[in-house]
Amino acid sequence: MNHLIKAEFRRLFATRMWSGLLLAAALLGGGMMGAMALVGPENFTPPMPGMDTETGLRSILGILGYTAFVPAAAGTLAVTSEYRHRTAAVTFLFAPRRWQVVAAKLATYAVAGLAYGLILAGTAAAALFAVAAASGTSLGLPPGTVLALLARIGLAMVVYLLIGVGVGALLRNQVVALCVVIGYLYMGETLLMMIPGVNALYPVLPGGATASLTDFTYLADAMSQELGSTAVQLLPPAAGALLLTAYALAASLIAVIIPMRRDIT
Amino acid sequence: MNGDRLKIEVSNLTKRYGALTAVRDLTFTVEPGVVTGFLGPNGAGKTTTMRMLTGLVSPTSGTATIAGRPYGRLPRPSRTVGAVLDANACHPGHTARDHLRVYAAMGGYPDSRVTDLLDLLGLTEAADRRTRGFSTGMRQRLNLATALLGDPRVLLLDEPSNGLDPEGMRWLRSFLRRLADEGRTVLISSHVLSEIQQLVDDVVVIRRGELVAAGPWSRLAGPPAVLVSSPDADRLAAALRVSRPAPRVEAVEGGRLRVRGLDAPDVADLAAAHRLRVHELVTENTSLEELFLHLTTGKAAAP
Ligand SMILES: Nc1ncnc2c1ncn2[C@@H]1O[C@H](COP(=O)(O)OP(=O)(O)O)[C@@H](O)[C@H]1O
Ligand SMILES: [Mg+2]
Repeated sequence: MNHLIKAEFRRLFATRMWSGLLLAAALLGGGMMGAMALVGPENFTPPMPGMDTETGLRSILGILGYTAFVPAAAGTLAVTSEYRHRTAAVTFLFAPRRWQVVAAKLATYAVAGLAYGLILAGTAAAALFAVAAASGTSLGLPPGTVLALLARIGLAMVVYLLIGVGVGALLRNQVVALCVVIGYLYMGETLLMMIPGVNALYPVLPGGATASLTDFTYLADAMSQELGSTAVQLLPPAAGALLLTAYALAASLIAVIIPMRRDIT
Repeated sequence: MNGDRLKIEVSNLTKRYGALTAVRDLTFTVEPGVVTGFLGPNGAGKTTTMRMLTGLVSPTSGTATIAGRPYGRLPRPSRTVGAVLDANACHPGHTARDHLRVYAAMGGYPDSRVTDLLDLLGLTEAADRRTRGFSTGMRQRLNLATALLGDPRVLLLDEPSNGLDPEGMRWLRSFLRRLADEGRTVLISSHVLSEIQQLVDDVVVIRRGELVAAGPWSRLAGPPAVLVSSPDADRLAAALRVSRPAPRVEAVEGGRLRVRGLDAPDVADLAAAHRLRVHELVTENTSLEELFLHLTTGKAAAP
């Protein structure tokens, strides 16, 4: 098993995707957060409450949570590239116990996701505090709370990366899997929210669970207002965190069990 | 496992894909110490059989074992078996060295093995280039290097002649010969008989998933035959019959002779020595070539 994990790290570090992923974390964390803070949520269209209010601050943190499709897509890309470039057969020749291969990938990508989350949260915190200090804005939440919320978002990235790995291992076709992952996380859930009745499910979907981590209901509220449906009630943060972990575990379990008997042709 | 002589045993192996039977009740053995050719036209089931041998495809019924065990039960499979089933398997963004280092780690082999194999397969200069720009032949060599990381006693190559130039084929031939001489087990598949006929000692021939012939090449191929047209056919036949070792000579229509047991240059030299005229000299297909031609063109039913 240690051999397999070592091999997966070597595989990850050998591609350009790895540096691209870390760059994306810094751009989305520091870059996007900095830009949102500079512009100020009150100048968004539609305008949101400012950073000096709790709602405004939670909102821009919540928007950061919406970038979770990026690590998810990276996980999917990494796993499906083995099928796309036909190295899966070679890998399974070296390690016929296929579940161990997937388990090693999950372990490796959990670490990669942690690095991604740390960079994302770290650069976001730096950008947010820097802009607030420079513009003399007092943030709507104490710094400790902001850091805790960012840490939750960082950890959510690990979960999403693993969900991406799971979906990739399940679907194998790179284009299909990427479409499913990005399509669902980026648009699918938002669309689901618009369907009356189905939007009651939102709190228990991955996006809803992620939103609960920062208690970010602004988007959901705006949408239900627009549609005249009842406002969604997010789960408490701890329950949301548990639910997200359950999603990652389920994705991992499926990823580990499914490839076992499939023919590699 | 150094010095081990390991057998490959396929028995009653069947693989169905829905209504299509890719491999049907196939039984054969591959011996160590020789190079065995696995022959059959495209779609005969060679790749499917080799993938079942390595556990990538699960059989519908029957068994395939290496050293008496199914692939998945070998203690450290890459130490025992090296297989190249897809010569193009590599990530375009990885360098040759990256690719080998991944699998060296996976099999638990030292990085020195990577350097050695890059060297052995003539990839040292290309080692740090991304495989995106590799030719088919280079990818093939990279995949062969990967298969050899564990210095395996059994080597399985699916269509190794694809993408190899004549020089590459010559290298492969002498390389496989050396491995076989070391008592290793070598199985190589091909759909083109002529490409591997100088390479193999034994053959296993299949068609539509079923065994057609198996055994030593020399026995299956039969003695070579030369067809001679000569206005001096009678005197040539007499001269041939008294030469030593005496070939079998028979007269065929058109006043020609079929000679078995001598090759074309021998016949021509003998005719020249007796100052006899030769108008035409043709080397006939061996019976295995004949059989294979029928298989691939589908002109004849299986014998
Ligand atoms: N995954 C698959 N699904 C359906 N049919 C397959 C699959 N793999 C191979 N076949 C079919 O099985 C037969 C044998 O194929 P294969 O083993 O690749 O032959 P060969 O390697 O001798 O050319 C062919 O008819 C092929 O179309
Ligand atoms: Mg084939």
